[in-house]
Amino acid sequence: MSNNKQYPMQFTGRGGEYFVIWIVNIALTLVTLGIYSAWAKVRTLRWFYGHTLLDNQAFSYLASPMQILKGRLIALAALVAYYAASYYSPMLAIALIVIFFLALPWIVVSSLRFRARQSAYRGLRFDFTGTVGEAARIYIGWQLLIIPTLGLILPYIAYRQVKFIAENAVYGQTTARYRGTSKPFWGVYLLAIALILLPLFVIAFGAYQAYSMQAAGASKEIAAAAAGSSMLIGMVSFYLILPVVSALIQSRTANFLYNPTMLGPVGFDSNQRARDLIWIYLSNLVLIALTLGIFIPWAKVRLARYRAERLTVTGPADLGQFAAGQQQSSTATGAEMADLFDLNIGLT
Amino acid sequence: MTTFIGDLFDGRSSQAHPVNVTLNEGQLLVSGEAIALAFPLDQIDVDPPVGAARGVVHLPEGRELHSADLDALAALSRATASNRPERWARHLESRLSYALVALLVSVLVIFAGLRWGVPAAAQLATHTLPTSLDRHIGKEALGLMDQFSLSPSQLPLARQQALTRQLAEQCGKQACPSYTLLFRNSKLFGANAMALPGGTIVVTDALVDLAQNDAEILAVIAHELGHVEHRHSLRLALQSIGAGVILVAITGDIGSVTDLAAGLPSLLLQNGYSRDMERQADTYALAWLNTACIPPKHFADILGRLDKDSTDSTTLLDSHPGTPQRIKPFQISPSCR
Repeated sequence: MSNNKQYPMQFTGRGGEYFVIWIVNIALTLVTLGIYSAWAKVRTLRWFYGHTLLDNQAFSYLASPMQILKGRLIALAALVAYYAASYYSPMLAIALIVIFFLALPWIVVSSLRFRARQSAYRGLRFDFTGTVGEAARIYIGWQLLIIPTLGLILPYIAYRQVKFIAENAVYGQTTARYRGTSKPFWGVYLLAIALILLPLFVIAFGAYQAYSMQAAGASKEIAAAAAGSSMLIGMVSFYLILPVVSALIQSRTANFLYNPTMLGPVGFDSNQRARDLIWIYLSNLVLIALTLGIFIPWAKVRLARYRAERLTVTGPADLGQFAAGQQQSSTATGAEMADLFDLNIGLT
Repeated sequence: MTTFIGDLFDGRSSQAHPVNVTLNEGQLLVSGEAIALAFPLDQIDVDPPVGAARGVVHLPEGRELHSADLDALAALSRATASNRPERWARHLESRLSYALVALLVSVLVIFAGLRWGVPAAAQLATHTLPTSLDRHIGKEALGLMDQFSLSPSQLPLARQQALTRQLAEQCGKQACPSYTLLFRNSKLFGANAMALPGGTIVVTDALVDLAQNDAEILAVIAHELGHVEHRHSLRLALQSIGAGVILVAITGDIGSVTDLAAGLPSLLLQNGYSRDMERQADTYALAWLNTACIPPKHFADILGRLDKDSTDSTTLLDSHPGTPQRIKPFQISPSCR
């Protein structure tokens, strides 16, 4: 059996098609005071999954709206408690943040698990087998070293997170293997840190220039104007660099996640490029601003199409040989908490 | 009778089995190579199609039926009478005109919600919440402000006590909400007066210096008493939560909203009162001054001067209605009984 057939990932959804779904979702969510948002989420994901094809078979999203609604209500209750606390007493709010921080590993694991178990391909579910203890080591233990190491440990933490996500992924009863090392992460993160520091250098240089101008006898106003303008340039470039850095890290992380991963006889080839993603992010940003948000559906579709285009699966001539694992249920609470608190876990 | 083709997955392996499917007399018949299955309709669960995405039918024992024939799947969904809300959504998504209506409805609901819904709900909530809550929030807010944006007053103690006594005298003669008068120095706020939740009124040194007589200071305090009387700062806090919730509902992004929560106590003030609240406080101040036999024009005078003094960040004025309009009732009403 030859083991090197190429299966390009395809995304067949169109922006106009998604726009209609998106705007109906928003209207119904508003009119029902948010209740419909659970149905909206399920329909949206079903649309994205149903348009993602591999070997001409679509992925399917299995969660029911009621599951999502329940998880969402619990997460919302936690958020309201946090809000009420932050108004009533900042100390109590800090205590809640600490509790939330301690619960983070559980939230991470249950979020990844829920997402995996509600995703299926060719009638078989995915699963995620990472444990809370392991997540605690990665998402709390290692994080504590960030400050003593002045952030230099960050690339290694990113590697551990990717490894955690990859090697605990399961399709049917086949568990993925991850053969990546932390080496490539260092280069990307060093570049990212350099990019973020760039605007600070601009500001520092401006301040130095203003100082030397004043020493050379220039008036106070001129020196202040020079310092102010470099400050402004620094701030503007900082806000422009943020999406650039996020595109850089996301594209590389996706490649580092997929390429060293094997799922049974199946391998992956992801070749996202930072400059493509930067272009997509920045142009999406501009178009969303110019259209007052109407462009959002097209923006999401563009991103989904790019990610699919850049992923190729390599495997046997017949992808029908995977066997099912045991069916397990899971609740949406952790996943919805992660969503509501805007945690970015893993990759989409 | 509906007939369509699709792929059957048995839930045990990832093998796709091409099948013909027929819906006939309450039964779903699935047939293909070495496959002949029949399911009563109450055992199947059809995901109503979304857009042009492939549809899925869930069959007993973990089987899945995938098909690109969306019309057939929609018919099947109707026949099983399950997932009704989604079928309605499918109907709404089917026409562009409905989508445009949805766009219009969304814009109107967001606008009306922010403009009227949130303030009304906040006012209602304010009435039901105990005043001890106001006091508690006010205490916390003052603590934070004392740390970051306020410093002890540089005014002579005698001056502070004289002003406090004058206010107490007036409040002995007429009903005032319970208050605490404090003097603070602040670079950030400049010449300003603030009413914190729970009745703490902070007057800055710069305001006392700006005033040409004590009556002007009392007039400003009367305006702040109006805010206290109507519990405006609690209402404002509730409004910003309400607006936050609406923003979350639209964008699904909580990040920017939790950031807001961090700078809350100062936001409470800097966000400014709405015009309606200012008008309410002005009306209160006018009545108060008349009862106290203080010529209301003092309020107009100091307000005019505050307006000119726009180099400072005068939060008292930022969101206030146009000063000339506000001053008018104070200039033509010298009545004193």
